[in-house]
Amino acid sequence: MGSSSGQPEFDYLFKVLLIGDSGVGKSSLLLSFTSNTFDDLSPTIGVDFKVKYLTIGEKKLKLAIWDTAGQERFRTLTSSYYRGAQGIIMVYDVTRRDTFTNLSDIWAKEIDLYSTNQDCIKMLVGNKVDKESERAVSKKEGIDFAREYGCLFLECSAKTRVNVEQCFEELVLKILETPSLTAEGSAGGKKNIFKQNPAQTSSASSSYCCSS
Amino acid sequence: MASTSRSNPLEEDDDAEEEVQHFDDFTLASSWERFISDIEATCRQWLADGPKNLVEKGAVAMEDSKNLFRVKHDLKDVAKSYCMEFYFQIENNGSQQAGIGNWNSNSHDLQLCFGVKDFLLIAPQSASGVLLDTPESSKLLSSVAIALSNCGSLWPAFVPVHDPSRKAYIGIQNMGTVFTRRFEADRIGSQVPVKLMHLEGLYELFVSKFVYSGVDFSMHNFKVHFMMRLTYQTFPYDEEDEENDMDEIMNDKADSAEHYGSESRNKVHWDDDCPWSEWYSAEDPLRGFELVVTWADRTVENTLEMAELENASPHEAEKGEPSHGKRIDFASQLLCLVEALDMSFTAQFMDDFVSVENPSSENLKTSVVIPPPTVLDRVIKDLFHEGSKLPDFTKGEHRLSRALKAAPLESLFTQFCLHSLWFGNCNIRAIAFLWIEFVREVRWCWEETQPLPKMPIDGSIDLSTCLINQKLHLLAICIEKKREMNEEFLDCIGSEDSSDASISMEEHDKVDKRINTSSEADLQQRKRDSSIAEDTSNRLRFERKTEHTNSVNQSPTDAIRIGSAGPVGTMMLLKSRQRLHAPFTQDPPLMTEDMHEERLQAVEAFGDSLNVPGQLEKDILLSDMSAFKAANPDAVFEDFIRWHSPGDWESFEPKTTETSAGSITDGLKDEWPPHGCLSQRMSDQGNLWRKSWNDAPALPADDQKPLLDPNREGEKILHYLETVRPHQLLEQMVCTGFRGSADTLNQTKFGNMKQMTSKLEQLYLIIKSTCGSLQRINLLDRAKTVSDLRRLCVAFEHVEKLVTVAASLHRKFLDASRLAQVIFSDFYGIYAPKMGMNSNDEENKSSTEMEVSRQEVTLRERQVVSNLFSPPSANQSWRKVLSMGNLLNGHEPILREIIFSTGDDVNNGIHYAAAADVAATSDRKGEEIETHRIHKDVRNMSICCYCFNVLLMLKEVGTRRTRNERSLSFRTS
Repeated sequence: MGSSSGQPEFDYLFKVLLIGDSGVGKSSLLLSFTSNTFDDLSPTIGVDFKVKYLTIGEKKLKLAIWDTAGQERFRTLTSSYYRGAQGIIMVYDVTRRDTFTNLSDIWAKEIDLYSTNQDCIKMLVGNKVDKESERAVSKKEGIDFAREYGCLFLECSAKTRVNVEQCFEELVLKILETPSLTAEGSAGGKKNIFKQNPAQTSSASSSYCCSS
Repeated sequence: MASTSRSNPLEEDDDAEEEVQHFDDFTLASSWERFISDIEATCRQWLADGPKNLVEKGAVAMEDSKNLFRVKHDLKDVAKSYCMEFYFQIENNGSQQAGIGNWNSNSHDLQLCFGVKDFLLIAPQSASGVLLDTPESSKLLSSVAIALSNCGSLWPAFVPVHDPSRKAYIGIQNMGTVFTRRFEADRIGSQVPVKLMHLEGLYELFVSKFVYSGVDFSMHNFKVHFMMRLTYQTFPYDEEDEENDMDEIMNDKADSAEHYGSESRNKVHWDDDCPWSEWYSAEDPLRGFELVVTWADRTVENTLEMAELENASPHEAEKGEPSHGKRIDFASQLLCLVEALDMSFTAQFMDDFVSVENPSSENLKTSVVIPPPTVLDRVIKDLFHEGSKLPDFTKGEHRLSRALKAAPLESLFTQFCLHSLWFGNCNIRAIAFLWIEFVREVRWCWEETQPLPKMPIDGSIDLSTCLINQKLHLLAICIEKKREMNEEFLDCIGSEDSSDASISMEEHDKVDKRINTSSEADLQQRKRDSSIAEDTSNRLRFERKTEHTNSVNQSPTDAIRIGSAGPVGTMMLLKSRQRLHAPFTQDPPLMTEDMHEERLQAVEAFGDSLNVPGQLEKDILLSDMSAFKAANPDAVFEDFIRWHSPGDWESFEPKTTETSAGSITDGLKDEWPPHGCLSQRMSDQGNLWRKSWNDAPALPADDQKPLLDPNREGEKILHYLETVRPHQLLEQMVCTGFRGSADTLNQTKFGNMKQMTSKLEQLYLIIKSTCGSLQRINLLDRAKTVSDLRRLCVAFEHVEKLVTVAASLHRKFLDASRLAQVIFSDFYGIYAPKMGMNSNDEENKSSTEMEVSRQEVTLRERQVVSNLFSPPSANQSWRKVLSMGNLLNGHEPILREIIFSTGDDVNNGIHYAAAADVAATSDRKGEEIETHRIHKDVRNMSICCYCFNVLLMLKEVGTRRTRNERSLSFRTS
């Protein structure tokens, strides 16, 4: 970190939130994405957090992904994490119908209640498509829900890693397309408050001159 | 003037010849002939072009008239130059008297006086533009008449005569080959005979002119049409204020020395109940109204009827006022705040601005004013001691308010910001003084455990607000918790043990034993031991264990249940035949934005690398488990999961829980215990939840170490407030100041004015985008940010002005909102284009005066309008003596225009007269309108011409108070 003070580590920092019923595989999805492994994880306690660096096009992105617990008891607690999120991923389990119906009964309402970011990108993800035989929610139902609530939609499997990368990448691309969100996540401003001072910036520019 | 008509045939012959030969020989022509020919050529040109072409060729549209145009031509006689103007109307509505028929204000004076539509006007190009002697004027008129009849034109032509102030005209019109019509008008300025001050008198005068004198006209039944238009003007609204101001200064000099809080004095301002009056008093933007009342075509002495209202001139700051160039409103103060922000970068702490030693404060001191301590006391008192009731935090909130990182209008911090706007001249030193005193007071509340005013003591921290507001909110909660703890402490001084224990949750078992022996039975301890034994349990062992507990649990253990919030449905424990109780739990700890940030950084730094997930909220889970254990002494881990995370309990029972529950109540013992197992992930080896469960002592929420340590958090918050960087404070103050001011304006009642609503919305959006960049401010783009903010102040100023106008209109037309709306949208139409201009331009600011056009008043709105004209005070009513009647609430019209007309042939023979009575209004020179009467009797084939003039003049005296000076004289020709 110290050595890279002249040049920012990343161009954008985006905050992404995972929500959905307990046991739908939010943490597994996140683990699958961040470390390419699948594990039957312990249920999340309250909130968990993972960082993933991505490069899309020329842009270096830092994703701060907040993984929330689905338990009702934690719901009031996690509400504060909605704020400032540029992307919210709603996850359900395609083999458990109640996790899907709870999306409209509970989770969509939570978003309305706690998210203040009007332009925030919402994404609907149906997990556990590897258990095709136990499927209880059809793809069409998922699409219809996504259409109604204006979300991106994807079905994936954290276990087989089908569509896991795509899920996050598509979300990030959509965020990058939204100017107000990119402005928020732009690294320049946020870092300036704490880390950057004029001396550093000038040294950065001078180093640029030398290298060129 | 019969000679002119006689000369017509001759001229026409010459003209015909010339046209044939296409050759003009002027060698022998006199200068007069050349002059006539010049006029003629011009008239021919104009005739040939026709109105449409003339417009295309650049005819000038008359001011405030949609369809009256003018073309000009300069003429030269030997000695003098003249200017000939042709006025014509584009719109043809078939009526010769278009200007009078609907009496729109756009008609030209001459159109009104003589009832003509298109006409020529010739005037010398002298300074006064008026012909001074009669021979010259008749010569000129003759020239025009000759020229016009040569062209075969029927246009009437007019020349001004006499002194320019008389605005007298004579005119002539060719009515075909046989007749000419003559016009003559004059105005005489001396005393008005009493007789002519009333309509009867004027009517008689008209009729006497119409019929031949000496005839008893009362015997004849003349159809005299009558139209009248009266213009009323309200007294300037600021008049009373000024008087009161004077009284005020006279009466209590002591108080008037103090500017702050002047609104608390008993002075009555127009905007006393407007939301901004708490902070400042705006000058009423509406200076007055003019009401134009028109009597449509009818007979004399009819009832009063209002048909038209001419609105007011919402003047902006008038020249020569004491506040010239120095507005006092939110926008001006916000600008000061922005300047203070700019200054704030020069110091490390707010104290630096106050301390004398600081070099940076040296150059500050010269320009800044610190209000006296009494003012400081007053502000602090207002902030902290006024009303203990919790305000409504949604008050004044706009849909977009929450998008701003500020605080609700009624909250402590917003009130602080708004006060600091008016504290001194909102310079950085004054702000520093106020802030230090503010923090001192906050600390006092904290030390004395007094509730923080204007802050809620519960709820969750709203992270969308600014950090200081979050901190103050958390502090208020901490104070409340501290107070509760103190009370509890006082309640049970004896039970020191438990309070000790509550601090040391970590030292679970040992401490637990000690406490529990005092309060709970040993049985509970045994349960815990057994659950510890489950540490490495798997499902199989669990099954066995259930059997075991089943047998143990013969005696009811409800007696030692602590902290239960009641049973959960009909759920039963697995190992004990008891209801599963939900415990009272601690609220999740509240965190401000920076605390979230800290945790994020901590997790980022350690959590991720160590790959220890789920550490963030572990203490909350532990607290829940402890509370659950206390509430369900016989519970096992599985019971907790069934309550806390039902999804991780896989029930083996085929029936739904309801039916099984029902069977339990029925006493079917076979149904108990419930069968099922933990989900795969919950029963995994090394499951964090189970570890936590084993670590968690049985403790009701009340006895636990609080998740939020109020003492620690409170101290931290005060430390933050005491050491906040000046620019961080100022940034938040700027955002909050803007939001607070905007919310205040947003509370203004201005009825349903769409432009205003959308303007306010725009304002919020601009504030949002400007202040958004403020949060990311660094030293480099500080200059840019500050200049952006200055621009924002300008935008704010415009909206503020509009709101003031809208509010003023709204309250004056409370029962006629339609009128308020149309007048406002008219004003908006004029004002909006100016909004782009930089108002730093002083000249532009001070001299903007705006007149808004007239609006039609409908029948229903009449009462409202007439109420605008409050009865005049005693010293104002002296002019009644001279009044002509038609008073409106004691107000005399400042302008009377009366037209009489008669005639039996509508198209051709019209006899009419107009009498007008004019007052100087906005134009200080004084304006006058002359009255005329024309009579032409077609059937007699004779021409007679009468004219008279009535003039009433009002002169403007002093500050917009008008005094009447009337004169009227009468003459016939």
